[in-house]
Amino acid sequence: MSGDLFDVAIIGCGPAGLQAAIHACGKKAKVVVFGKPERSSLYKAHVANFCCFDEVIPGKALLESGRFQAEKLGARFILQDIVDTKTEDEQFTLVSENNETFLAKTLVLALGVSRKKLKVKGEKEFLGRGVSYCVDCDAGFYRDAHVVIVGNESAAVTGALTLLGFASRVYLVCKELSVSDALHKKLTDSDVTVVQGAWVKEILGDTGVDKIVLTNGEDLVASGIFIELGAKGAMELAANLGVAFDAETFSFIETNKKQETNIAGLYAAGDITGQPWQIAKAVGEGCIAGLEAAQWAKRLRV
Amino acid sequence: MGHEGLLDVNDSTFESEILNADKPALVDFWAPWCGPCKAIAPVFEELQGLYGDKILFARCNVDQSPNTPTKYGIRAIPTLILFKDGKVFDQVVGAVPKSQIEEFAKKAL
Repeated sequence: MSGDLFDVAIIGCGPAGLQAAIHACGKKAKVVVFGKPERSSLYKAHVANFCCFDEVIPGKALLESGRFQAEKLGARFILQDIVDTKTEDEQFTLVSENNETFLAKTLVLALGVSRKKLKVKGEKEFLGRGVSYCVDCDAGFYRDAHVVIVGNESAAVTGALTLLGFASRVYLVCKELSVSDALHKKLTDSDVTVVQGAWVKEILGDTGVDKIVLTNGEDLVASGIFIELGAKGAMELAANLGVAFDAETFSFIETNKKQETNIAGLYAAGDITGQPWQIAKAVGEGCIAGLEAAQWAKRLRV
Repeated sequence: MGHEGLLDVNDSTFESEILNADKPALVDFWAPWCGPCKAIAPVFEELQGLYGDKILFARCNVDQSPNTPTKYGIRAIPTLILFKDGKVFDQVVGAVPKSQIEEFAKKAL
């Protein structure tokens, strides 16, 4: 399906992304949605405060019916993470973890927020002295070094592959990998040393990181550790496009009442724009983002 | 994105412009491919507007100038280093909140 031009691409299939898809489809836009439903913070939640549902409903059920509804309206779902984004000639190029490329006139970021920190001993102490949260930013500082990357999902696996271009040895520490088959194959065909069924227990060093202690009793000698939990987040995917974040925390994307960011054709909705982290807020913002994006795409149509 | 008035320093100008500066210098070590660096850039410029008369605000592209970051042990960007009298006074790593960057800059005063 690569090469097709979509009117609206949505990253994230939680409530904000689903509602954006539903409304964009309502405007007859050609819509594609990326992401993994089980990654939504709603997936394991039980919802009791969402208007018009007076009984507690499992979040998973809501996500399933939302997807069904959007698909019926014509939205296409690609159950993969996006690992790279670019803008060119008023178009957005998205690369999935299977290394497929998708083009869209507008982009809605509805990818939520996720935990970035490992919360282990040594993590804070060695920040910037061996501990890093951004492979794309810092891989170049580890030429010919031994490095560890920790995480179970696409950010860790794509990060490990990127690090191979710099480091002399790359260990990927994971409990259990949860990535697409194509990405998994790329990993197993590579020189990355995969340490599965383990996690990082402690980060040791003197002036900088020297050693990573694992939960399986193994120690890895390395001068750096990259912490890449989950999928690539807003900072990795959006900041490169020049999207403005809130200066108070640099955790949230700034939007106006139309859910527009500072980049034309780029919208954000849901948890990623800030608190409250509620479905009601997410669907409200998703609705606006979907409508606005569809309208913007139509304007571009010649 | 304008960077008006923000001094660009490199491996060859670092000593003369930063270490020998007549006022404290705050250097942003960054690279063009670094998302968090882009995110904090506007804040850095805003602070220059507020404190630029007392502190020299500069940035160093680690891709073009690899020696300086190596010398200061930088292994993650963005890193902000505050230099006073030619020596490292303090440093902060990552896209930390604006209030924290401001507190950090004010240490030079």
